[in-house]
Amino acid sequence: MVRAGFNAELEQLRLQVEVMAVRVDQNLERMKDFLAAGDLEVAAVTVAADDDIDAMNLSLTERCYDLLARESPVASDLRFVMSVLRVLGELERVGDLALRVVKVGEDWSLVRASASTYDILVSMAETSVEQFREALRAWSSQDLDLADHLARSGPVLDVANAQLVRELLLLEGPSAVATALHSLVIGKSLDRIADHSAIIGSRLRYLLTGDPDHLAAEIR
Amino acid sequence: MTEEETPVPQPAPTPLSDLAHETAEEHPPPAASAGATVFDVDDLSVLYSGFRAVKDVDISITKHEITAFIGPSGCGKTTVLRCFNRMNDLIEGAAVEGSLKYHGVDLYGKDVNPVEVRRRIGMVFQKPNPFPKSIFENVAYGPKLAGIKKKSELDGIVEQALRGAAIWDEVKDRLHKSGLGLSGGQQQRLCIARALAVNPEVILMDEPCSALDPIATGRIEDLMEEIKQDYTIIIVTHNMQQAARVSDRCAFFTTEVNPDSDQRTGTLVEFDATEKMFSNPSDERTENYVTGRFG
Repeated sequence: MVRAGFNAELEQLRLQVEVMAVRVDQNLERMKDFLAAGDLEVAAVTVAADDDIDAMNLSLTERCYDLLARESPVASDLRFVMSVLRVLGELERVGDLALRVVKVGEDWSLVRASASTYDILVSMAETSVEQFREALRAWSSQDLDLADHLARSGPVLDVANAQLVRELLLLEGPSAVATALHSLVIGKSLDRIADHSAIIGSRLRYLLTGDPDHLAAEIR
Repeated sequence: MTEEETPVPQPAPTPLSDLAHETAEEHPPPAASAGATVFDVDDLSVLYSGFRAVKDVDISITKHEITAFIGPSGCGKTTVLRCFNRMNDLIEGAAVEGSLKYHGVDLYGKDVNPVEVRRRIGMVFQKPNPFPKSIFENVAYGPKLAGIKKKSELDGIVEQALRGAAIWDEVKDRLHKSGLGLSGGQQQRLCIARALAVNPEVILMDEPCSALDPIATGRIEDLMEEIKQDYTIIIVTHNMQQAARVSDRCAFFTTEVNPDSDQRTGTLVEFDATEKMFSNPSDERTENYVTGRFG
């Protein structure tokens, strides 16, 4: 096998993307903790950790440019580098969405105050983080079945989100509007986290198959 | 080029004159003939003194396209290229099996004149090989052999060919100086001009840039892109990026080793649109080769 150095660089890149995904996953865990207890310190740690994620995104993007310039990858190698670039974007976005949730800050108590909608949010957070973990597992094992499952999963939080909105419309009292606005932002963010996780799956699926239909599905 | 400028250089009627490829419609507009098949190769093998050097070649060459042959050293791509203008005839003991049809006519048919074949199917070699003559004489050589004597006519053909090979402006003031005084890249374009001067339909190129620097290589690649409007090109190249850049279709050859005899035989692995070959080839051996992991 020739191009051993190039192979090693691609494998290194795959691992680094996994490391970045793990950091995003840690922030999602912090996001869940914040949602559970409204701890402002946890929120601050989440914000700081996101700077590391952004820095990784930058340095890995630079590595991709470097590989494209020096190695002129083709076929599966080219799909790999392009997929890394696009998956990096998804990871960065998921990280930002986790921040949106913790940035509710001390208004968490308003969100917590409405028990029915709060319960929906906690359950949505479970689902979205589980969806992201599946994407992480798919990437780290480059598993086509998992990737395909994610790509076909569809909008898993649509129903919960609609239910959340219905419940919020029923709220009454002086803080109802503030509670509803914050809860909506959190609900929408969790919904998008699940979507971006599914997109990671479809990007991985195209990387593994090279099937033009899978590229079309990925772009949609 | 008009008919008056380039009379058919045919000393005697040849069986190839039965073909549709006549002077009057020497170069029909590409649109009219896009997609037409120039060569149809079916189950071609090349043997040297009974030893099978290449086998299983099934390819069709499309008009006004650039077809690239890629593969590791010794896979038979140059051997196959040389079948297209019967250059292998010149090697003792060489034989061809299977069929190679040029516009439907068997190129290896008994009554086909190899000299006429080579006029219609020109060749450019790896190392620029101008004759030790003036630039003008290099280009005028073919037309003169074909019987063109009039100075004004030759002047026209030479200028046209040199312009066609994108070297006219560089040599127009030194046409009667030696072709060997040119740079490597210029010499190669002179050789292309020499091939164009006899008004071929197809140009075979055997690693035409391997002796050239990147700038000269870029010029030749630009030139190929320009002249494919008028000609059909088959190129053998070791430079995969070059194949990816210039070709429309690509054939990948590799070597199979017979474990019993240790004999190596070249074989065609995959033939497809270049875009497909370099983005998602069907055969794993192609993938390993284009990604540089062959072996």
